[in-house]
Amino acid sequence: MEVIPPIVLYILVDFSVYLIITLSLNMEAGYAGLPQFGRVLSVITGALVAGAIPGRILALLYGYPHGAEYASYEFNYRIVNELNIILEQSPLLSIGVFLLTLIMAMMLGAAVGYVTSRPAIRLKEAYLGITLLAMGDVVMLISLYYSPIIGGTTGVMVPDPFRWVGPYRFTAATLVLLTLSIVVLIVVERLTKSPFGRALRAMRDSEVAITVYGRDIARLRTYALIVGASIAALGGALYTFYTGGCIASTYTRLTWTFWPWAFMMLGGTGNNVGVVLGVLLFVIVKTFIVTYRGVLAPYVPFDPVWLEYTFVGMAIILIAMFRPQGIIPERPIFTIARKKIERIFTTLETPEEIRA
Amino acid sequence: MSNDYILVTKEVTKRFGGLTAVDSVSIAVRRNTVTMLMGPNGAGKTTLVNVCTGVYKADEGRVLFDNEDITELPPYEIYRLGFVRTFQIPVPFQSLTVLENVLASMKSDGENPLIAIAKSRWIKHEEGAIRKAFNMLSKVGLSKFWDLPAYKLGAAQLKMLEVARALAAGAKLIALDEPIGGVDPVYANRILSYVRSLKDEFDASFLLIEHRIDIALPYADYVYVMDKGKIVTEGRPSEVIKNPKVIEIYIGE
Ligand SMILES: Nc1ncnc2c1ncn2[C@@H]1O[C@H](COP(=O)(O)OP(=O)(O)OP(=O)(O)O)[C@@H](O)[C@H]1O
Ligand SMILES: [Mg+2]
Repeated sequence: MEVIPPIVLYILVDFSVYLIITLSLNMEAGYAGLPQFGRVLSVITGALVAGAIPGRILALLYGYPHGAEYASYEFNYRIVNELNIILEQSPLLSIGVFLLTLIMAMMLGAAVGYVTSRPAIRLKEAYLGITLLAMGDVVMLISLYYSPIIGGTTGVMVPDPFRWVGPYRFTAATLVLLTLSIVVLIVVERLTKSPFGRALRAMRDSEVAITVYGRDIARLRTYALIVGASIAALGGALYTFYTGGCIASTYTRLTWTFWPWAFMMLGGTGNNVGVVLGVLLFVIVKTFIVTYRGVLAPYVPFDPVWLEYTFVGMAIILIAMFRPQGIIPERPIFTIARKKIERIFTTLETPEEIRA
Repeated sequence: MSNDYILVTKEVTKRFGGLTAVDSVSIAVRRNTVTMLMGPNGAGKTTLVNVCTGVYKADEGRVLFDNEDITELPPYEIYRLGFVRTFQIPVPFQSLTVLENVLASMKSDGENPLIAIAKSRWIKHEEGAIRKAFNMLSKVGLSKFWDLPAYKLGAAQLKMLEVARALAAGAKLIALDEPIGGVDPVYANRILSYVRSLKDEFDASFLLIEHRIDIALPYADYVYVMDKGKIVTEGRPSEVIKNPKVIEIYIGE
């Protein structure tokens, strides 16, 4: 029983999660100009934290198996069911576990960002892109085939920190996700409308000039990768909590690297507001395709399962061909209000004109 | 001796494959002077600046800045010590505004993301930087265009943006690589006299690379003439201009 229609919930959840992840991508790719083709790596890091850690902590606290057997399909659903009963009774514990996990996800995400920054210091463009892409795939494949982490191909259930809310669980969880995605938007806006954001864009425009003007590009890249990865990991952890389960095969490079790229390119690379719009549009269209693909089936000459992939792929090609800057192109950014800058300008201009 | 000089190169050599672009060049820029480096196209002037600022690695020789050996340092370390340069072919930050281009030449604590998030920690510095940037922009006649993205500027304006960025960085030594190329003579004179006034006001030093000796020579304290990778002659402007080798290079060819 939900107050909001399921299709709207579905759109809002996808929007929130993808907004967080696409904003993080935009900071790295749009602002810093890095070929971040391994976004899935930090997303899966967050998912792994949420899938592997809170359940184990609770299992440890309440005397259930918490080692490799925690993730085994024979035990996992039973343990998590028990844990969920405990969580249902205790809102405080639920909230505590939820927040602690998010913090851990962001910290581990930051660490992963740091690790990816090591090759990023030396490699350029395509080489870096391929390296990041490969790193993402490697972690996904390890989590998929090494079952003690998150149950391998069968996955694990994740303790549900929203269960205590009762019948409106999905609505509540959706609203929490939406709120957090807006917090991320505000944080990212602040970060990018600052000397940090300016330095990233300057580096993107000319590495040699920013180096001559005193910036160590290795350090700037490291900053961007750490911040971006920790935000993306937050997105991964939130998605895992929402769905209540975690299976590595969900985290493909298609859905968590290339889709965010498509959303960013559609909305406007280097423009956070554009990203909001891009994610929203894509998610809505995608949701309608998924919902109504049964209806469309007779009219397409292939399995309609592929419709949403076809749509995203087509969209990427069309955007790249006809509007590479996206719906809302990048705009000049003012670190302080334009009015204030103008005031500084007018107080200085006249007396300081060129001395002959 | 070396304390009189802000920059000293000792037999610096830079080769590109079989071509020796800079051939055992030794120059010295005295503190608080405008030292000019002139020479025909392809003489190796820009290459020498690139080697001095760490953009290229020297094949041989040493570069000393402010009594410190900077031969092996990357450009950003050299900036930190107080040495910046402009690019002969402007390298603006294309999508940044004119104002932001100048701001990007000054470092801010707010470039650390942990500090960037707390606006109160960098806003004061930012306002000061904006004031300084506008000051520079008005000197080079670009303040009206402060909110235009750099890619919309014309060639001469981009040259001036290069100059404004370098001057705003507040360095001890600024290498200006043909700062007035393509700029009309009246304006060029203004810029160069402003450079001289900055030299006095901030005790700065300049290495000025210029082709247009008719305009630039009066603003120089000392001149090096370079040709085919080598220093041909050096001296006060009035002496150098009478040197037969210089006359040969500039007129006789
Ligand atoms: N990156 C490079 N790779 C190969 N050759 C180069 C490179 N940079 C410069 N050269 C060559 O080195 C020589 C010196 O060039 P440089 O640009 O230093 O001359 P310049 O004195 O600055 O000339 P101009 O007055 O035209 O600016 C030229 O023959 C040039 O073609
Ligand atoms: Mg040159």
